Amino acid sequence: MKIIESTGLGKRYGRTWALRDCTLSIPGGHVVALAGPNGAGKTTLLNLAVGLARPTSGAVRVLDGLAAGSPEALDQIAFVAQDAPLYQTMPVRDMLRVASYLNLRWDGSLAAERLARLRIGLRTRVGALSGGQKAQLALTIALARRPSLLVLDEPLAALDPVARDDFMQSMRDEVAGSGISVLFSSHVVAELSQVASYLVVLGRGSVLVAGDVPSLEQSHGAGLEKIVLQYMRSSAVAA
Amino acid sequence: MSAVAVAPSRATVPWSRLGWVTWRQHRGALAGCVAVLAALGVYLLVMGMQIHGAYSRLAACHSNCGALRQALMSYYGSQRGSVLSSGINAQTVPFFLLAVPVLLGVFLGAPVVARELDTGTFRFAWTQGAGRTRWAVTKLVVLGVLIAAVAYLFSSLFQWYFSPFVAAGVTGWFPMQLFGNVGVAFAAWTLLAFAMSAFLGVVLRRTVPAMACTLVVWTVLDVVTMMSLRQHYLTPVVGSGESPPGGQSAWMLSQWFAGPGGQHISPGQIPLSVQESPSPAAFGNWLASQHITQWWSYFPGNRFWTFQLIEGGWLLGLSAVLMAATVWLVRRRAV
Repeated sequence: MKIIESTGLGKRYGRTWALRDCTLSIPGGHVVALAGPNGAGKTTLLNLAVGLARPTSGAVRVLDGLAAGSPEALDQIAFVAQDAPLYQTMPVRDMLRVASYLNLRWDGSLAAERLARLRIGLRTRVGALSGGQKAQLALTIALARRPSLLVLDEPLAALDPVARDDFMQSMRDEVAGSGISVLFSSHVVAELSQVASYLVVLGRGSVLVAGDVPSLEQSHGAGLEKIVLQYMRSSAVAA
Repeated sequence: MSAVAVAPSRATVPWSRLGWVTWRQHRGALAGCVAVLAALGVYLLVMGMQIHGAYSRLAACHSNCGALRQALMSYYGSQRGSVLSSGINAQTVPFFLLAVPVLLGVFLGAPVVARELDTGTFRFAWTQGAGRTRWAVTKLVVLGVLIAAVAYLFSSLFQWYFSPFVAAGVTGWFPMQLFGNVGVAFAAWTLLAFAMSAFLGVVLRRTVPAMACTLVVWTVLDVVTMMSLRQHYLTPVVGSGESPPGGQSAWMLSQWFAGPGGQHISPGQIPLSVQESPSPAAFGNWLASQHITQWWSYFPGNRFWTFQLIEGGWLLGLSAVLMAATVWLVRRRAV
């Protein structure tokens, strides 16, 4: 299975190309890290993949040929946008109900167990949760949808080191053995190597490198962190 | 929310569940609208009971009814002087109520899409399994129907409150400050404000500018309708006579004089001595002696409901177009 396939994918905002001539074919069953400095086009690529943005050029298909943003694709892809936008004024309980009512599949017991384990009260207002709790709530909602593909945009950006570690641990636990593919973006290089089994590095709107981690490490003779830094530096020099 | 529900392929999220989401997100605004109308409604109910009491005493009276008529008219307010300086009474309340539909519609309609764009939650809402089309359609239809129904109930209460003055022949329902507050017009204007502010919310992407823009556009449209559009819904009736035909319930458009050959006579051609004569009969006698006829163009009171349906119809159509355009823009909106 291919979770993302794109050919000549480009997105332009005004005169600036946020993403240009992006050709990718990402296999399923991986935790895919989308790395790159700020402004590399990570969010743009993810928005295109979940149907929030439309390509200026080229095309993107998800989950073996589904059009991005089509009803079938929306049904199987759970997306957590940057800063985990949720309804701030609702209690957690109502936020869960809203999410369950907006989807065909909903694993309520998964959500209840996870939140109990994380000690997130159902009566707490979403706006009163800490950054880490909010990110965990958004991840819980995404997982309870039982998606084939989980897409996370900078899930770690707003978290402190402890919350980051907890979140990465959650991601590892939930994904292991569940068959879910994960695509997440991050500009925090150190964390990538903890979970990623497939790497895509973007720089200035283009794909610099893409491949599964063991073969990349073998061909480059270096660890994941070094590889990412090397490509990010070369893209900065080219700029 | 306990078991994993495995949905059959090609199934869609039920409308009822989307309806609950709509209700949960907008119940606060709906409650605000209902609270404002309820407060105004209590006033109309209390005053309306007094007015109906005064009217039923007047209706039962057979002779020397001047004091009872005066008692009824004390609720209507002074006929002289500026309308706005005469305080809150049955004559001024309808003017204040003309502003209510746009305030209700804007308060409920502007945030429907704009707040999601404002706060970024559209990235949650539009990436769920239900999809953004069904999401937008449900919100617009459910909230539109609810606010129109609430508005209709309120305007029915106003109509009841005011009806004794119409029954007593003080006025008809045609004057602009009454027309918009009774029948289907009040609900239709409310629905238009709701649809317009939801539409402008997607166009402008911000809640407050969408509210401000709707206030301006809606008010201009309302004033143009009252001043120059409404009178063209039907062809007026033309009649002659010394006094206006059709009585108090008619909507008088114009009045002119014509000579025996049908030629137009300007009021300046009528001698000042006749125009200013203290005798009420003098004017009519002079017209008769000159074979001049006084003509009137007007809408009889029984056309009122036709007017209401015409206005309700085009407002409903315009609202539907704005809602469809809103859904279309939501489908097209890309970040």
